[in-house]
Amino acid sequence: MSAMTPAGDYRTSYRADMTIMATRNSRIALALGIALACAAPFVLDGYMLDLLVMIGIFGIAALGLNILVGFTGQISIGHAAFFGFGAFASAYFHEHGVAVVIAIPLAGIATAVVGLVFGLPAARLKGLYLAIATLAAQYILEDFFARAQWFTGGVAGRMTESPTIAGWVAGRPESFFYVVIVAVILMFGAAANLMRTRDGRALVAVRDHYLSAEMMGINLAYYRMLSFGIASFYAGIAGALYAHYRLFVSVEAFTILFSIQFLGMVIIGGLGSIAGSLMGAAFMVLLPEVVEGLANLLTGSAIDRALRLGASISFLREMAIGAAIIVFLVFEPDGLARRWRLIKAYWKLYPYSH
Amino acid sequence: MRSMIPWLAAAALTLTGAANAQQRIPIGQLNDFSGATSDVGVPYGQGVADALAWVNAQRQGVAGRPLNVLAVDYGYQAPRAVSQYQAWARDRVVAIQGWGTADTEALTRFVTRDRIPYISGSYSAALTDAGGRSGRQGVEATPYNFFYGPSYSDALRGMLTWAAEDWRRSGRPGRPKYVHMGANHPYPNSPKAAGEALAAELGFDVLPAIVFALTPGDYTSQCLTLRSQGANYAYLGNTAGSNISVLRACQTAGVQVQFLGNVWGMDENAMKAAGAAANGVVFPVRTAVVWGQDAPGMATMRTISRGSDPTGNVYRPVHYLAGICSAMLTVEAMETAAANGGEVTGPRIRDGFYARQNWVPRGFEGVCNPSTFTAEDHRGTLRVALYRAVVTGDTSGGSVAELMAANTMRLEPVTTIDLPRRPDWLGW
Repeated sequence: MSAMTPAGDYRTSYRADMTIMATRNSRIALALGIALACAAPFVLDGYMLDLLVMIGIFGIAALGLNILVGFTGQISIGHAAFFGFGAFASAYFHEHGVAVVIAIPLAGIATAVVGLVFGLPAARLKGLYLAIATLAAQYILEDFFARAQWFTGGVAGRMTESPTIAGWVAGRPESFFYVVIVAVILMFGAAANLMRTRDGRALVAVRDHYLSAEMMGINLAYYRMLSFGIASFYAGIAGALYAHYRLFVSVEAFTILFSIQFLGMVIIGGLGSIAGSLMGAAFMVLLPEVVEGLANLLTGSAIDRALRLGASISFLREMAIGAAIIVFLVFEPDGLARRWRLIKAYWKLYPYSH
Repeated sequence: MRSMIPWLAAAALTLTGAANAQQRIPIGQLNDFSGATSDVGVPYGQGVADALAWVNAQRQGVAGRPLNVLAVDYGYQAPRAVSQYQAWARDRVVAIQGWGTADTEALTRFVTRDRIPYISGSYSAALTDAGGRSGRQGVEATPYNFFYGPSYSDALRGMLTWAAEDWRRSGRPGRPKYVHMGANHPYPNSPKAAGEALAAELGFDVLPAIVFALTPGDYTSQCLTLRSQGANYAYLGNTAGSNISVLRACQTAGVQVQFLGNVWGMDENAMKAAGAAANGVVFPVRTAVVWGQDAPGMATMRTISRGSDPTGNVYRPVHYLAGICSAMLTVEAMETAAANGGEVTGPRIRDGFYARQNWVPRGFEGVCNPSTFTAEDHRGTLRVALYRAVVTGDTSGGSVAELMAANTMRLEPVTTIDLPRRPDWLGW
């Protein structure tokens, strides 16, 4: 969703038009933000850091899906299967003597190859038909995980190790947090840059109008498959990080529900927004925790006693999460990224916002 | 000045209250109240919660310090259990009452690293090899994992031992045929190899396993396979919902097989749901008696039950009693840790589990089965009590309590098998 250029925008060169960070202030803000994030392990406790790590990991996976759904206009409801493939692949590589820091990118590449194979139908299909094809991918891979004893350890799952870099073991949320920060910066930087390249713009052109894009000489089949490959690469990296953080990979985790959750992150964060992917992941990770906190407050309170909720609170909680997502989509259909832009614009233009 | 006195007194009370609160012992409790296994997770979790509340109210906690029970419903989602674990580690819990197969195994390394005893609702035999000496592939040392009751494998071994005897007594000719049924999932798979190995050892013909999903569905074709294979004894490895589907489908198809249930796959609620189809299923029960029977410890059980049911009329399924026994083992291990002014820490609680032989929690005699844990062997018990589900009429009307009282449904003791503590069965 490229924003329309507002009045008072005096860009005169392509270079200025292409820049990721428009002003010096935004550059400073980014540097400050990264510095602040790096200080987080000294301030926050393991639980908060664990949530941040999960936001980072899911954010990377959501970004991959956003490239596919938000930028290329394809659909995938098998993203969790690719996420899982990355997790198993990295654990498998590590088992065979590859260091974790190398196993993670290797797993990303392996997943990209698998993604290209399952992306083949995407060259010919679109819309609901493609959705069904990716649904098949989800189930094929899930079944493969459950049966390929040599690769995944079967249904019992596979244990793996924490990353070790020159004797420094990233085994706790405090230390793994830095691994995730580096990964997030690399992956999000790469995506932001990708969208400025010829290939990135080709993806957007395919999304906006595939017929026009084809007439302009864009190879539709090639770019649709490429998009699948990139999305799977991101999913694979995220899955590998997940494996070496949780230290246990089991087929149970990578279900269709998890795939839908990734779609939810992308839609809530904002389709076609790089930063929105991270915001959507944050929303989906934090929402259950917030609702859980509310449910705990409710337990044993006057309302609980008056309505005799008792054990029903846990079901109310599940429903509240679903309801919150619906309410969010009704009132914020363009996602968190747009809301963020509006907030920024408000302060930038204050007090003359109109 | 005089008007100040109540205020000062109140302030002093608040301060002491705060000091007491600081001394409370944090303990984690993982429940599945809303997820895929909530049918058995609710009674088990209620048992654990009621037992710990009773310990706080009647025994003033452990060594005078009340327990601060941090209970969470994780909806049977292993990732949520792992992130919850981080929160508990922050709160410095000294022990955790856990639940499912996947999340227990995902947390094994964490609890070993952080030295937090983890008393699970998963009875996977892989958790019993505390010293890591079995040398089995994929089995690691699990010095901080405990559970109350026979492992899944040992429960199945007990049932097979009974089945071999049952076949001999029936005087039918030939070798009996045994088949393992269940989803391709860690839970039904856990005792599969152990069961098939012992079945072969006992002279059964072991048929190829039959797969059915963990969710309720139409399993008529599985029943027809059972019949065409001529199976005599079939192990139902799944949880209750899908087991009920199989029992009903096989009843409709008229398949004559002795079903062997599993510890989480059959209980009073499942009997009511399956109706006459559940009649005759033999399954393991972790306590020496069930609700409605009498034993010295049942008085305590009933007192605990009144904690969440002041009327005293609610029927408590087998999982409720097992939850109480499990929680009471943890409490007594903590008491051992606290004895002689000791600090209640993870490693000391673990040693508390090793302090007794044939350990029955005080006040629960005749209900909780004796457990013995050693530093190498966390097979708490090798005693498998088998019960038969007997359903004599229509179960659609009336609550479980009424049906049990009217004798429409009952649990009939079959036998109790004491398995040998074979070293080659450790961790398997």
